[in-house]
Amino acid sequence: MVDGFVPTTVEEALELKAKFPELVPYAGGTDLMVENRPEVDYLFLNRLCDLKHVTEDDEHIRIGSGVTFTKAIADPLVPQVMKDALVKIAAPAIRNAGTFGGNLGNGSAKADSVLVEYALGALIRVGSVDGDRTVPVHEFYRGRKQLDLAPNELILEVLLPKANLGPYYYEKVGGRRALAISRVAFCGVLTTEANADGNEVIRSISPSFGAVSGTVLRFPELERQFEGLTREQAAKQRLSFVTAYEDHLKLTEGRVSAAYRRQVCLNLLGAFLDAVGI
Amino acid sequence: MDEIRFTLNGEAVAYDGSAADRLLDVLRDVYDDRSVKCGCKEGECGACAVLIDGELVNSCMVAMGAVDGSAVVTLEGYRETDRFRALDKAFAEVTAVQCGYCIPGMVLAAEATLAKHPHPTDDQIREGLSGNLCRCTGYNAIAQAVANAAEEANGLW
Repeated sequence: MVDGFVPTTVEEALELKAKFPELVPYAGGTDLMVENRPEVDYLFLNRLCDLKHVTEDDEHIRIGSGVTFTKAIADPLVPQVMKDALVKIAAPAIRNAGTFGGNLGNGSAKADSVLVEYALGALIRVGSVDGDRTVPVHEFYRGRKQLDLAPNELILEVLLPKANLGPYYYEKVGGRRALAISRVAFCGVLTTEANADGNEVIRSISPSFGAVSGTVLRFPELERQFEGLTREQAAKQRLSFVTAYEDHLKLTEGRVSAAYRRQVCLNLLGAFLDAVGI
Repeated sequence: MDEIRFTLNGEAVAYDGSAADRLLDVLRDVYDDRSVKCGCKEGECGACAVLIDGELVNSCMVAMGAVDGSAVVTLEGYRETDRFRALDKAFAEVTAVQCGYCIPGMVLAAEATLAKHPHPTDDQIREGLSGNLCRCTGYNAIAQAVANAAEEANGLW
């Protein structure tokens, strides 16, 4: 075999990527092999045990980039909001191979695990021979198929902040139950905290929209309207909150029309607000 | 490394072609395992499903370099097992097979399902087969066959 590399450690993989930046990282193969490019030299990462961990520290659930969706679904540390998305990805044979790193690296706004990462404010840890760095997922995606990933870097880990877990709403709208590419997907999470007066107020709210534009869409400037309010106060401002989203949802045409996507996005936003009591 | 070493249906083999070659093509054209069917080449039909290290995977979505060190099982190997004989009988009894193109993938998906759920619910069976398309008999007969095989298996899974 002269045209591919099978490193056995992450260090070896990073050294190879530094030496041969044109190598295409291969995790599960489920996106790459659709193109089936015989001329490509792959850097096979599927044997790297160091990328297959699910662990936690005080602040984060840490998911290795080589963790398959099947493994994550079975892991007690993986948050339910993520599992709700994972069980609807494709079908068992794809979930047995597809990974978190591959879903990110493919750069698509239709990546269902990435949508949940946006809603949870996830961090992506990437590495090279020069060291590691951690970048928020919304900055990691610069545009459609454009990632903040240098040619000598590899995606190592996804970090889900525990503080951003809370009541959530997830829905995937596809053409069928299995093997469906999202036409619209939605994930939103609500977190609350006690304010100085001891009232439970909204700390964060994260409506996120997948598969409707070049990247997943999330609007922090609109989310601020509800921050610091009680649910009751937020409910009174619901109309203006939703109207602001109506104004901001500039969607692309795709397999379905932009108008359809926009209406579905707004319906799902409403269902999310209902679900979290706003 | 010089070649890709793996086991195919229990037999050690070494492949010296390109690491970018597709497992589906290599199984059919090099090892003559013609049970592995090419339906869609994009992971949407399950006709090329094989077991890699015991897990169901679509062989159209696997590059040979990823197979290095793995155990690959196709229907050519699986059909020598008692589990296959139980599924074979169950599929025949409810006429779950018509053209047969999807059946190798269906049978291996059934094996993966029953290995995980020896006493499956109907939902678990349908979930297990959800990546495999059939355009002849439809899914009810196939799901029934898997349920019957599980019931009559006597501890095979």
